Amino acid sequence: MSEYVLPRHQEGRIAVVTGATQGIGRAIALRLAAEGARVGVNGRADTEQMREVVELTGGFPVVADMADAASVRSAFATVEQEQGVVDVLVCNAAYMSMSPILEHPLDDWWRNIDTNLTGTYRCVQSVLPGMRRTGRGNIIVITSEWGVVGWPNATAYASSKAGLIALTKSLGRELAPENITVNAVAPGIIDTPQLQVDADDAGLTLEEMHQQYGAEIPAGRIGRPEEIAGTVALLARPGLKAFVGQVLSANGGSTRARA
Amino acid sequence: MSAAAPVAVVTGAASGIGAAVCRALEATGWTVVGVDMRRPDHLAHSFVCDVSDPHAVKAAFARIEAEIGAVGALVTAAGHYEFAPIGEITEDQWSRMMRVHIGGLLNPLRAVLPGMIERQDGAVVAISSELGIGGTESEAHYSAAKGAILGLVRSLGSEVAGHNVRVNAVAPGPTDTPLLPAAQRTPEYLASLPARALGQPEDIAQAVQFLVDEGGFCFGEVMSPNMGAVI
Repeated sequence: MSEYVLPRHQEGRIAVVTGATQGIGRAIALRLAAEGARVGVNGRADTEQMREVVELTGGFPVVADMADAASVRSAFATVEQEQGVVDVLVCNAAYMSMSPILEHPLDDWWRNIDTNLTGTYRCVQSVLPGMRRTGRGNIIVITSEWGVVGWPNATAYASSKAGLIALTKSLGRELAPENITVNAVAPGIIDTPQLQVDADDAGLTLEEMHQQYGAEIPAGRIGRPEEIAGTVALLARPGLKAFVGQVLSANGGSTRARA
Repeated sequence: MSAAAPVAVVTGAASGIGAAVCRALEATGWTVVGVDMRRPDHLAHSFVCDVSDPHAVKAAFARIEAEIGAVGALVTAAGHYEFAPIGEITEDQWSRMMRVHIGGLLNPLRAVLPGMIERQDGAVVAISSELGIGGTESEAHYSAAKGAILGLVRSLGSEVAGHNVRVNAVAPGPTDTPLLPAAQRTPEYLASLPARALGQPEDIAQAVQFLVDEGGFCFGEVMSPNMGAVI
């Protein structure tokens, strides 16, 4: 591939990407900004990392903890007040912890659900009245290959991600008649800081984890955050109404992981 | 587009989804070659060819490579539709359906894959259908053929992924093309779709263009821009 010029699909639109300070979320924020969007960069706290993404995107910070209802709702209210109605919502923020089920502390188990699944519900509820007023919107949920196939020691995370798939399908049906699309991307193994959790669980170094995963993927490598960002950007295109409640599996051909 | 192999071949290029795909790929810089049973009058490069005929396809692709350039992208949109209850489908009808859809993917694949594998770069997008996933009554042969495309794409997708050849499928729902049965234009039918409208060929073309030009770590994936017909 050469000289592929990024389309400016997001010119004049406002996007909010949750969990955008690193990894996949950061790449999504940069991609939507490159396509012309003004991007709200969400993180749990105002950090150096967040400020860097805000600067790179020319966007604005959205400080909110997905696990905290009041924090999410007030942050989105501020966004609408100060920036305008959100056109594109990307629910990417996630917490992941791994443990054999009997040893998994209950509060930590629930933190996966509260952040990933309930956090997404809160974000969608927050942007929906605005999208209804403008009569349009694109919501993209980042789920996971593990939400499709499950994974040992990841019961909490996989449950939250499988729940997101059902949420996407239901909301897709519910909101399509109102010209609001809801779809999901289910990334496979991607080169992000989150892979350290996998490495720790497997007792491997991060590099060893990369190699082991890469060998198991038909493409022969793990994915890049920019690839997931491209897939998200497709679903965020205004006027592309044909995707309704779909889950795109971007996983390098891991054939057991199709939603 | 690919600098080493700047040609994108689109089958079923004369109308509907195929024609929209041609426009989308031309817009991103590909030299588009159309293949169809009748000459696509909107393209500079085109070949009249029945994609179900392996000899004709082989000859056409040999000429494309020799006269125009190496094929970096293949989109198989040629299709054939008919409505028939299972008891009334003749051997010939069944066979034609399989040859056009499965052969219409297999024959061009055999022509372009060696070059793509050699260059370690290439993109193939097969147009399937929501009926290949969900099925419906009185379209058993069409659904079976479109479903077979998905099996081929998923298997081949993982088989050649290691060569950086991306084989994926797009499974449209009811789309506003000449192939669409009249029953799917009625208000009652449209009301049954979550998106309450037919898809446009340009919607499908956008998904194809993304898979050809970017891919987004999709190998053997089936994308369904189907207006919510199958979720």
